[in-house]
Amino acid sequence: MILLNGKEVAFVPGQTLLELAQANGIDIPTLCHDARIEPYGACGLCVCEVRMGQGPAKLMRACATKVADGMTVETHSERVMRSRKFVLEMLLSDHTGDCIAPCSLACPGGTDCQKYAALIARGEYHKAAETMKDVIPIPASIGRICPHPCEKKCRRALVEEPVSLAALKAFGADMDLLENTFVPDCKPATGKRVAVIGGGPGGLTAAYHLRRMGHEVHIFDKMPKLGGMLRYGIPEYRLPKAVLDKEIALMENIGVQMHPNTMLGRDVTLDGLRADFDALVVATGAWVSSKMHVAGEDLAGVFGGIDFLRETALGNPPAIGKTVAVCGGGNTAMDACRTAVRLGAETVYVIYRRTRDEMPAEQAEIEEAIEEGVQFRFLTNPDEICGDGKVESIRLQCMQLGAPDASGRRRPEPIEGKFETLAVDSVIMAIGQKTDFAGLETLEATTRGTVAADTATFRTNLDGVFAVGDVTNKGADIAISAIGEARKAADVIDAYLHGAQIAYEKPFVCEKEVTAADLAGREKAPRAKMPVLPADERKQTFTEMALGFDEETARKEASRCLECGCLDYAQCRLIRYAREYEADPAPYAGEKAARQKDDSHAVILRDGNKCILCGLCVRACDQLEKLDAIGLIGRGFTTEVGAEFRLPLASSICNGCGKCVEVCPTGALYRKTEGQKNVAVDKA
Amino acid sequence: MLEIKVGQGSCGISAGAAKVYDALQAALDADVKLSVTGCIGMCFLEPIVDIYDDGKLTRLVRVQPKDAQAIAQYLQTGDEASVASLKISAEDSAFLDKQTRIALRNCGLIDPENLDDAVAHQGYAALRKAVTEMTPEEVIEEIKISGLAGRGGAGFPTWFKWNAARQSTGSPKYLICNADEGDPGAFMDRAVIEGDPHALIEGMLIGAYAIGAAEAIVYVRAEYPLAIKRLEKAIADASAAGYIGEHIFGSDFSCGFRIKAGAGAFVCGEETALIESLEGQRGMPRLKPPFPAQSGYWHKPSNINNVETFANVAWILNNGGEAFAAMGTEGSKGTKGTKVFALTGKIKRGGLVEIPMGKTLRDVVFDIGGGMRGERNFKGVQLGGPSGGCVPLAGIDTIIDYKALSATGAIMGSGGMVIMDEDTCMVQMAKFFLDFTAKESCGKCVACRIGTKRLLEILTRICDGEGREGDIELLEELCSRIKENALCGLGQTAPNPVLTTIRYFRDEYEAHIRDKRCPAGECTALVRYSIDADKCRGCSLCSRKCPVNAISGEIGKPFSIDSDACIRCGQCAAVCKFGAVRKG
Repeated sequence: MILLNGKEVAFVPGQTLLELAQANGIDIPTLCHDARIEPYGACGLCVCEVRMGQGPAKLMRACATKVADGMTVETHSERVMRSRKFVLEMLLSDHTGDCIAPCSLACPGGTDCQKYAALIARGEYHKAAETMKDVIPIPASIGRICPHPCEKKCRRALVEEPVSLAALKAFGADMDLLENTFVPDCKPATGKRVAVIGGGPGGLTAAYHLRRMGHEVHIFDKMPKLGGMLRYGIPEYRLPKAVLDKEIALMENIGVQMHPNTMLGRDVTLDGLRADFDALVVATGAWVSSKMHVAGEDLAGVFGGIDFLRETALGNPPAIGKTVAVCGGGNTAMDACRTAVRLGAETVYVIYRRTRDEMPAEQAEIEEAIEEGVQFRFLTNPDEICGDGKVESIRLQCMQLGAPDASGRRRPEPIEGKFETLAVDSVIMAIGQKTDFAGLETLEATTRGTVAADTATFRTNLDGVFAVGDVTNKGADIAISAIGEARKAADVIDAYLHGAQIAYEKPFVCEKEVTAADLAGREKAPRAKMPVLPADERKQTFTEMALGFDEETARKEASRCLECGCLDYAQCRLIRYAREYEADPAPYAGEKAARQKDDSHAVILRDGNKCILCGLCVRACDQLEKLDAIGLIGRGFTTEVGAEFRLPLASSICNGCGKCVEVCPTGALYRKTEGQKNVAVDKA
Repeated sequence: MLEIKVGQGSCGISAGAAKVYDALQAALDADVKLSVTGCIGMCFLEPIVDIYDDGKLTRLVRVQPKDAQAIAQYLQTGDEASVASLKISAEDSAFLDKQTRIALRNCGLIDPENLDDAVAHQGYAALRKAVTEMTPEEVIEEIKISGLAGRGGAGFPTWFKWNAARQSTGSPKYLICNADEGDPGAFMDRAVIEGDPHALIEGMLIGAYAIGAAEAIVYVRAEYPLAIKRLEKAIADASAAGYIGEHIFGSDFSCGFRIKAGAGAFVCGEETALIESLEGQRGMPRLKPPFPAQSGYWHKPSNINNVETFANVAWILNNGGEAFAAMGTEGSKGTKGTKVFALTGKIKRGGLVEIPMGKTLRDVVFDIGGGMRGERNFKGVQLGGPSGGCVPLAGIDTIIDYKALSATGAIMGSGGMVIMDEDTCMVQMAKFFLDFTAKESCGKCVACRIGTKRLLEILTRICDGEGREGDIELLEELCSRIKENALCGLGQTAPNPVLTTIRYFRDEYEAHIRDKRCPAGECTALVRYSIDADKCRGCSLCSRKCPVNAISGEIGKPFSIDSDACIRCGQCAAVCKFGAVRKG
């Protein structure tokens, strides 16, 4: 008998401590051990405190310590935990790689862009959609309209241009919608009920994930159809509502119950819903157009930007006349001016107080608006809207750029006495949007008039009421931000429904710095251009302007991905243990051993930068395959694994059996499929 | 009879002993017997020529080839005046007179390449006695009585290891000598092999007989070519004489003997890594247990001892275990016999020192070593090389005993003793040893491979004036974790130089980190040179010597140094005739 964590247990002669612990349901971490291979003892992660009789307690490697009568063993004592944490911190301090690709890290939703791109490159569209739908329930819609922060961080830009990730998302999701559309499985019913108020991107996402977790979910929305700003704020020519309808229909398929035309404060109340449901998600968005507070703003023919777009979407386009002035420089202003063109306006001005360089709208949108004949009046600001009962003209104060302001943009300053007047039939004020707090009065508000929600847990001041998206904190943002918040909130709410109080925490990941010089050897491959309707044609119609990629273009474009993110992240034991033991390598930051990536072999990809020198590959090759194709080279800190004479693996006797990949605890080894794009492994 | 011996260990040869030998050969009469001997042990006096006139010794030191004629003249005329300037001083003679030589008993006395000479000095008598008169158990018992413990550093009782290997089932068994002496500043084992290879062979054969080994192997580092050459000849001679091979001394004991030259990895001095290397594998430690006594070379029972340990064995059998045990510290747990130290560093008389256990460090450093070189003050002594630690002045009266030395944070080690004076920066010293261990780490275990690298990085930034508040605590934390988690002795002991320097010289670390000052003035990045206006005569010599034109001034008036431009090469201080350049 031995004493294992204070409990007497029997053992089989010859059994190692690691085996005994496993037999007793105790998990001892190890990175260098495999039951089929002789113990080696390199990582030192499996140490346990072992005492023989009354002797001193020593740290012994569990993988190699044979259990003996009279042993006292502690597998998780403070001393043991400290030693394991140290080992992990040492390993991480010498680990070079990106657990997650920069595109995914940049995505507020954390969408696995690299993976869906790889799957598209391989022609596996359903799997690509499945990957997207791990986060986004409506990828075909989002792919069309997202300002794609992912592409801004895409490292391909260091070679020539970023990968067209948003368009690829739309392509993959469209392909999936054609037939055999991916429908996620839902967990067995939990009996818990959640009400989601607001059916925009945030509300839909929260509902989707909570439903998958087995909860009963109801969405209450004031509008006739769900989709929120995607439906009533984004014009048809950018996002055809038929696409949105299909994606929302899938949510109904998994059992999300929709309650349109149901307005908070009018049809339902917060208190009433709180009484009926176990949890609430407030995702009502920001639906009030901001005012500019200039004279004449109350005249007939002055419209709020989002009001104008909403009414157009509802099929009641306001009478805007032949000459229209749109005030503002953001994406809503672009949507408004281009919608005005499509409604038949002959002259459309955009009034913006700075210059094109400072415009927050997407460059492509500005370009396309110019193509469609929109006239930009930069460095002008509305001073007064003039008219007798209805709009007749707009007087503009001419501006110049001064010193940079807090946002880094040069501050526009009025040029004293210099004005300009444009004769217009209507004015659209697209300068921002605010929250409608009606029905939310019992929630704590921020100074901006939004709902105050905890940024980590999405909780509000009321128990069981959570809030996400534009209605919270800093206010209106892009759709994928609301989706990202809703995705994280779903985890918190799920835990809440199960009686636990967990906060969402940003997981620790390894990241590396990459410069253009690092990618100097890459062959250039230009970014695919999205084919669009000609400007003259599209001015006449609300038909979707983008024609979408054809299959060949999409697969080629997806192949441009540099595969920055670790292909083994889902199964990496190093990152798993690093989180489990809360390892923090920062105090030990220092030089990293510059090891090489070897992509010479047809089916084995070796990335020395992620190698932790556990020696498992070398031993698997020797002991399991009896081949000895690889070995340890060099000494000390810069020791590495490689084929003899440091030759590429392809020049070695390696037969591609893949046993090394199988045993590798990190992403240092990956099994490729010849001629196909590498795709990250799934969770074990 | 007149006999001339020229000390030709590697050290003597480096100092020119081979040329002295050639010059003597040319100058001396043919009837004078001229021969070679191993290291006499007084490195600071090399080359050394010993003249034996019917046993009476005249020792000439720092001999140059040009002195050959004078020596020839002295031998012819007996007129000491011609060699008076070469004769060793009484003070220097004390270096050897104060020692007790057992492991080194024949070093510097016999011709290492002459078997007859060794036999004339009791060579192989103990082997004969063991295999013809004693059972293996009796041999082990005698070693047990002697209290002999492993001289490689760990101090494990030799009899216990021999007995464990003897008891171990499995065949064949191997006896291995660890001659992979790698500590910087250690050369005890080299001296034994170069000076008395037969003592090693005999000790090993006795050990092989005791454990029942069929083969004895010496793992010697390839960087010791002379040792290998002499050992090869000794093996050949001993084989020819029947001391190695079948039925040694007509007994039933047969044993083969060979050399394996190691390929320059410090870690191969670790016994399990040594075994891996011996098997042709990469030198990396194995997990223990199983210990080599159960599963060693080719997974057969194996016993590994160090050179010095074996060099004591024949003496013990010839003189009895009790005679050996009579030397050393008291009690059954005391440390018995003698220990050989290689004394180096800022010491007046450096060389090989063999003294009984129980003497103090002061005896070695001040009495035998003659104290510090060049009027400087003693600061500390590093014991046991990179695995050891330093002992400061306050610990100078520590007795030489495994336990007493361990209590200081240092270790007995294999015998390297590096003496440091006040000009030695202790952070630099720790950095030097960590640089060594980081480079010599085999790369297998995480704690050592990355841990020593991180220690080195932190020490480097401290020396570069970029140390941060909290670095000392970070070093201590790293050290503790490495000691606990490293796989083998190399990693487990690598933090010792850092821990002991922090323990005894914490203020020096703090001065580097907080005041950006190196008290010893050794860290270039922290040194500042300035000119004392009172002493400067304005001669401009420093200014002209300065390689970066950082010194300016008007002739006849005090000069000044632009500290930003200064690269701290120290040339100004070196050339100033008035001592006007201050370093601090």
